[in-house]
Amino acid sequence: MSAVTIIWSMFASACLTMAVIYFLVWYRSRAEWAHLWFSLLAVSAAGFAYAELVMMTASTPAEFLSAMLWAHIPLFVWLVSITWFVKVYLAAGRTWLAWTITGIRAAFLLPTLLTGVHPNYLEMTGLRHIQFLGESVAVASGVPNPWTLVGQFATLLIMAFVADASITAWRRGDRRKALMIGGSVEFFIIAGLGSSMLLVWADAELPIVYSVVNLGLVVVMAFELSRDVLRAGELVEELKASEVGLRESEERMALAVEVADLAIWTLDLDRNNIWVSDRWRELFGYPASERLDGEAIRQRVHPDDLPAVNAAQERALAGANGGAYQIEYRLRMPDGSERWLSSHGRVETNAEGRPIRMRGASRDITTRKRREQEMLLLRQEVAHVGRVSMLGQLSSSLAHEINQPLGAILRNAEAAELFLNHPSPDLDEIRAILGDIRKDDQRAGAVIDRMRGLLKRHGIEARPLDISDLLSEVSALVRVDAQARQVTMTLDVPRDLPAVRGDRVHLQQVLLNLLINGMDALADIRPGDRRLQVSARLNGGGTIEVGVTDSGPGVPADQLAQVFEAFYTTKASGMGMGLPISRTIIEAHGGKLWAENAAAGGAVFRFTLPVVQKETAPV
Amino acid sequence: LTIPPTVHIVDDDASFLSATARLLRASGFTVSAFGSAAEFLAGRETDAPGCVLADVQMPGMNGLELQAALAQTANPIPILFLTGQGDIPSSVRAMREGAEDFLEKRAPKEQIVAAVERALARDARERDDRSRQQALRARFDALTKRELEVLAHVVRGKLNKQIAGDLDIHERTVKLHRTAITTKLGVQSVAELTRLVDEADIFSAKD
Repeated sequence: MSAVTIIWSMFASACLTMAVIYFLVWYRSRAEWAHLWFSLLAVSAAGFAYAELVMMTASTPAEFLSAMLWAHIPLFVWLVSITWFVKVYLAAGRTWLAWTITGIRAAFLLPTLLTGVHPNYLEMTGLRHIQFLGESVAVASGVPNPWTLVGQFATLLIMAFVADASITAWRRGDRRKALMIGGSVEFFIIAGLGSSMLLVWADAELPIVYSVVNLGLVVVMAFELSRDVLRAGELVEELKASEVGLRESEERMALAVEVADLAIWTLDLDRNNIWVSDRWRELFGYPASERLDGEAIRQRVHPDDLPAVNAAQERALAGANGGAYQIEYRLRMPDGSERWLSSHGRVETNAEGRPIRMRGASRDITTRKRREQEMLLLRQEVAHVGRVSMLGQLSSSLAHEINQPLGAILRNAEAAELFLNHPSPDLDEIRAILGDIRKDDQRAGAVIDRMRGLLKRHGIEARPLDISDLLSEVSALVRVDAQARQVTMTLDVPRDLPAVRGDRVHLQQVLLNLLINGMDALADIRPGDRRLQVSARLNGGGTIEVGVTDSGPGVPADQLAQVFEAFYTTKASGMGMGLPISRTIIEAHGGKLWAENAAAGGAVFRFTLPVVQKETAPV
Repeated sequence: LTIPPTVHIVDDDASFLSATARLLRASGFTVSAFGSAAEFLAGRETDAPGCVLADVQMPGMNGLELQAALAQTANPIPILFLTGQGDIPSSVRAMREGAEDFLEKRAPKEQIVAAVERALARDARERDDRSRQQALRARFDALTKRELEVLAHVVRGKLNKQIAGDLDIHERTVKLHRTAITTKLGVQSVAELTRLVDEADIFSAKD
């Protein structure tokens, strides 16, 4: 067998192999059209190689011509597939140009197929044999057909098209592809064109060896494509890895949801479709079979909480807090029981910012709420006990406060009796006495009311109140006690302070506690130096700061925080609950209570209370 | 010299003050009312008879301090205390310092009236004592310093010889002094002399 036959057969089979491989690659996904074009390109290269082989081994001009004529079919496919391969693979190039090329090549081929007139030679003059690779191969000579120019024009268009597409790809950043594909196509086309021109026009002593050129191009393209195939393989691996990761994170999420006992829900706003997790159905008491809609959910929400739930949803939909939705509310179950839920969610919007869905998680917080309520009750109970024990400490003061008006009433009544014993009673005097009796009765009543207020159990009911009234009231309560203990009490309170929001009784308790503590701290001080000052002032940040300063020994610096711990006491009969209770009360009012030492010696206990906004101030 | 005794009421509670004043006035006493101890000390007639009815707990000078201040004056009229509640330590202290009584503010009227009457009677008695003592003491003013020394020995029951020895004077001189003493004081016997010295209380007052 001759070398030419072996080599050209090898060319053809190499091209065919690659055609099959890439056809299969394309066929598997049917997505990468570049692979199909390449496969076609390789098939046509194989076909062309075969035609060339036939031409080179032709023994008659007719045989040669026939092979050459048929070679135009793979050539057509070859050029068209190069064009479209470049177009698809580089994703660049002008579509109209690609179609123009396809059209011209088709037009070039069509007359040949229809008439049998050879596009390259008008007339075949003879067949020569030349030496090629150590053997004799056939080379045609004849009168060139000008029609050939049409085909070669199309080839020039291909070069222009490829150059344009490559530049576009290069500019886009796909420099490697642009260089490899664009460069090689241009190079091999120039080579092919050159040889064809030599052959046809110059009648060169050269066999038709396009296949060498073609194979080169096929190899370069295959190499380039294989990179992509390899990359695709890597991508598959990566995808698998990320799928594993995704599954892992899904499992983690599921575990978190389960452990946190979250009930997940999604509300599709466009379709008004609600998706909920099993746990959600369990919480709301809806079996899996029951269809859910907004109405069904609203029916479960406790009627008292429904407005708040609606408002929270509207706020989120309006985009407040970045569309975050957060609320604690109650459910009322069909059996009448109540269930507390904490729901957190977020509104998701489309590209235009229109809300399209809400997604969230709800949790059963009934136990926590119950505990909170129990704690609240307990705290109120402790506060109440604190007040009762404080009243015990104030009992002498209170007795005095009540005995004073009662004593006055008694004396007035006795005096009136004596006046009435007169033969002509002084009625004016008696009238004055009765007026005084009424006044004193009211006074005693007020003391009892105040005491009852302190003794009553009640929760914190915050109302706007005047801090200077409160301070003078409480000072009046301890005044007698202060006198008995020879403590000089001063009040430094501006009259024009804004109202604070607070519960009168609870704040009285705090103040009484601080005042009694202050007086206790003065027990070992010389009587003339026992001073207790109550002051109030407007702080920045919308709070009023109240301070109780004593002239006692002060609190050791390391115990300033400790004094607020439960059961901390320095008194023989103290419970150690006064300050912890006071702090709880102040914090429940949104304020702070702390201790410090005054520069001049002695302790200062200060607390803050938020000022009421103007529109809700008391009249 | 028939100034009616005045009941001075001192209480910081205006209402109780006026009610008590009214009652005592209706009960026939002459009454003056003061809102504080200081007001009373500054405003009272220094020499007038009467008594004080004061609240124990008052701002500024309290009842017990008033009692102490009153005791320092030339006319320490008796003091009665009124208190809102039974305050045992205060009452013990008050009574030990010679308070006439310690009453609850809502004690029966009769108790208060009786206590006031008692206090006024005591004041009258004490004033009597004081004026008699003053008259007696005036009699002793005639004695010389030496005679007073001799007298001190005499009332202790010492013999002339002992007195002479103690004072380092002649026994006859002692006798002369004794005669001068009895003549000046107008007494007959040593027994009478001793009683007079006792009543005038001159030595204990000076010791």
